[in-house]
Amino acid sequence: MSRCWLALVEGPVEDAHASARTSNLDGQEIGTLAAWRQNAKPVRNALRVDERLIDPRGAPAWISLVLAPSGVRLPFDDLAVQRARRLVLSRPPPDAVSTLLRDDSHFEGAITVARSDDTKRWLRDDPFAQIYPAMLLAVEAGILGSVTGPTGPTIERYGSGNPWPWDRFT
Amino acid sequence: MSARVAHTLQGAGTDEVGRLAVGQQLADFELLDHAGNRRRLSDLVGADPTVVQFYRGWWCPKEQAFFRRLLALQDDAEVAYSRILSISVDPPQVNAAFRAGLGARWTFLSDPDRELQTQLRLRETTDTLNDPYVPAVVVIDPDLRIHAVYNGYWYWGRPTHEELVRHLREISRTLRVDWEAPTP
Repeated sequence: MSRCWLALVEGPVEDAHASARTSNLDGQEIGTLAAWRQNAKPVRNALRVDERLIDPRGAPAWISLVLAPSGVRLPFDDLAVQRARRLVLSRPPPDAVSTLLRDDSHFEGAITVARSDDTKRWLRDDPFAQIYPAMLLAVEAGILGSVTGPTGPTIERYGSGNPWPWDRFT
Repeated sequence: MSARVAHTLQGAGTDEVGRLAVGQQLADFELLDHAGNRRRLSDLVGADPTVVQFYRGWWCPKEQAFFRRLLALQDDAEVAYSRILSISVDPPQVNAAFRAGLGARWTFLSDPDRELQTQLRLRETTDTLNDPYVPAVVVIDPDLRIHAVYNGYWYWGRPTHEELVRHLREISRTLRVDWEAPTP
């Protein structure tokens, strides 16, 4: 099971495996996107992410960050979440994508990474944003890598505790 | 008994097309996917049974009909830990448009220089205009070992939905160590 955590936090982060400053589309700094590789949850709002996304040498990127509102969560197998995964597979692959989760069975958000103009354009129409609110953010270098898209057409998770689209049982 | 009748009696999925034959291992080739990313076969297959389709091109009505069969399989495969790959000589941009038009959610691969086609001896020699792949379908395991081969030059040579499911089931039964349901 992936034990890589991701969170958007205010101010700098000292103990993260990788982190980068983040701003909105108006250029206003809104915090630090940080990732930790550890068993224990590092901060209260951290969510588990596909660890392949995290790369301290990663280039700057645009992201769509979808997060469940406080107190709201859907089962991962909810039809809306299944549909969003199908839509992701049907589109040109982004630089990287991962669902976000706290426990094994609930969908609590997603991160989609883009760098080219082509994939950046798709961020405004993020399928996961049909489920929860999305933020479009610019992330500086130092946290997000590139992960080639899944082969398809699998939308199931490989092991119920893993984020999608991680594609192996081991 | 003629050789052709004897072959039919051996069972579906035992054709030989070019260098494709049951028991052979596919080379771990690299091709561009529909988004222009270079992809290696073993990475695409991962640890799942995979249907690999070689097809003529978007313009062929037989291919369009057979893709509808694969689209039906897609609805099962998306929850069955199985993968699909489609390979043609069309460039990535053409594959991307065709894939989008079909509603396919699996990876399309391009071999515009026909290197893999030559290596596998899969050029359809009767079409000197397009020099396409001769239509063929193989089902492979994660070691890239060919479990079944179908020669699709004539449409009825292609696998049915049921035949593809049978091969995917057979490979899955071998792969999944917990295939037998855990009951008390």
